[in-house]
Amino acid sequence: MKIIFVLLLAGVGSVGVASRAQAAQTILVCYPGGPVDAAEAGNALSSMLRVVERVGQWKSGTFESAFTSRADECRKLLAERKPAFAITSLGLYLELAARHHLVPVVQPRIKGQTAERYRIMVKKGAFADLAALQGKTLGGSVLEETEYLRRIVFAGRIDPSRHFSLKPSRQALRSLRALAKGELDAVLVNQQQYDALGGLPFAKDLEAAFTSEAIPLMGLVADEKATSAGERERLTRALQGMCQDSEGKKLCELFGVESFEPVKPGTFDTARTLWEAGSK
Amino acid sequence: MTRRLLVFLGAALACGCGHLATDLVPLDLSGCPTEVGLAQDAFDCGSDSALLSCALGALRQDDRPQLRRTALGSKLCKLLAEREADPSRRERLAAEGVRLAEEALALGAEDEGAVNYFLGANLGMAVRDHAMLAFQNLSRLHETLKKAHEKAPDVDQGGPGRILAMLYLKAPPWPKGIGDVDRALELLEGLVERHPGHPLNHLFYAQALWQAEEDGARAAVDRELGEAGRLIESGRFGSCSEPWRKELGAFAAGLPRTESEKREGE
Repeated sequence: MKIIFVLLLAGVGSVGVASRAQAAQTILVCYPGGPVDAAEAGNALSSMLRVVERVGQWKSGTFESAFTSRADECRKLLAERKPAFAITSLGLYLELAARHHLVPVVQPRIKGQTAERYRIMVKKGAFADLAALQGKTLGGSVLEETEYLRRIVFAGRIDPSRHFSLKPSRQALRSLRALAKGELDAVLVNQQQYDALGGLPFAKDLEAAFTSEAIPLMGLVADEKATSAGERERLTRALQGMCQDSEGKKLCELFGVESFEPVKPGTFDTARTLWEAGSK
Repeated sequence: MTRRLLVFLGAALACGCGHLATDLVPLDLSGCPTEVGLAQDAFDCGSDSALLSCALGALRQDDRPQLRRTALGSKLCKLLAEREADPSRRERLAAEGVRLAEEALALGAEDEGAVNYFLGANLGMAVRDHAMLAFQNLSRLHETLKKAHEKAPDVDQGGPGRILAMLYLKAPPWPKGIGDVDRALELLEGLVERHPGHPLNHLFYAQALWQAEEDGARAAVDRELGEAGRLIESGRFGSCSEPWRKELGAFAAGLPRTESEKREGE
């Protein structure tokens, strides 16, 4: 789901930059660990931008995107290209916010929520808690950013790289089937995956051995020094109108995004505190 | 969210279209014989494109129900579309194949596996560059191919299962879509056993193995690609070979070098 927010945001986000220069403006999209080919993502993002340009009556080609699925490449692009707006994972935002003056601008709302929880699913009765899972295999499709997992999802209680034997997979369903067959001890799922578990035939055999605190959904961030408050507000309004626009509405419905909302003050404070605490 | 959804989404937005193409591709019928045999089994990958065009041209003029309730028309469209390099012509040929299959179904061929297979194959080609259309037709495509696989699993050397497997491989995965690499693997494992003579069964199996296991399945991936390549170059698949050769080449080029390849390169 995250990548869809990323794409939606990438499209509308460009509106905020459009008036700043004649040359095409770059929107940096970082999707660390995502199984996304950069060339294909670039094509998709370009397509998104063209639609946004048409809907927003901007000249075609006003915007361009830069995409990477590698965290190190994201760091490099942020440093070299200094984009005014970017879409990153929460982990990358927290890591890079101070260095690049990043501030969250807009969040998506899904099923009434602008936050999500991660859960570790196990077979019923197999493991009571995190301590019982020490040294056990943990699968899932959301295991790429281990530092984010350590500091935010597990709030510093454990280091997942040491606590578990990690078995990342491109497909969560594959991990869950392996769990049901006893080939894995546990699977980490995000909110979207957890909400869909009920449709799986073996869901009744599973339970959560760990549930994270609510973690804010990440959206678009801006370089506070490279953008004015007016530009960020304009961008926010554009995003808020996204799911009311006839074309944008279809996309929002297709991917279950109810709306885009301005980030409320304090939304990311807890995450920032946890991140800082984790560095000590 | 996966690469496939990105591609679907990007294509959807690029297209903005909502319907299959309805205009017919003009056919060059200048060299056609006065009588064209319209037996379904007479056409396959080895058929000359000119002959296929002649047959489709003749079929367009032939309204006999006993002919139009067969899979012939949609098969001709599939064969022509698959070898068509121009995307617009390919799409229109495939869309015509969908209409001809729908006509056959309406004339009483609902349970004929071959008609459902060619409907699914043409529908897949008609929507594949238009993701919103693909999303809109995903459920229909899924049901059509499942029915074809159930009724005629062996047509086109496992064609229904082959396309169904690729649908599972390319569609958005759980929890947002029907994409399911395990199902794809299961189907393709069966197909390479049952129909080892079709190169796409091996190529698609290699793609599924790579998506599921990556480096853990590299040896098996290379083995299947080798077999697919050998079959493609065997000369048995006529004009079908060229697009398959390209697909194999593109997939192989995207694989990382093996350790032995790295050593050879040093």
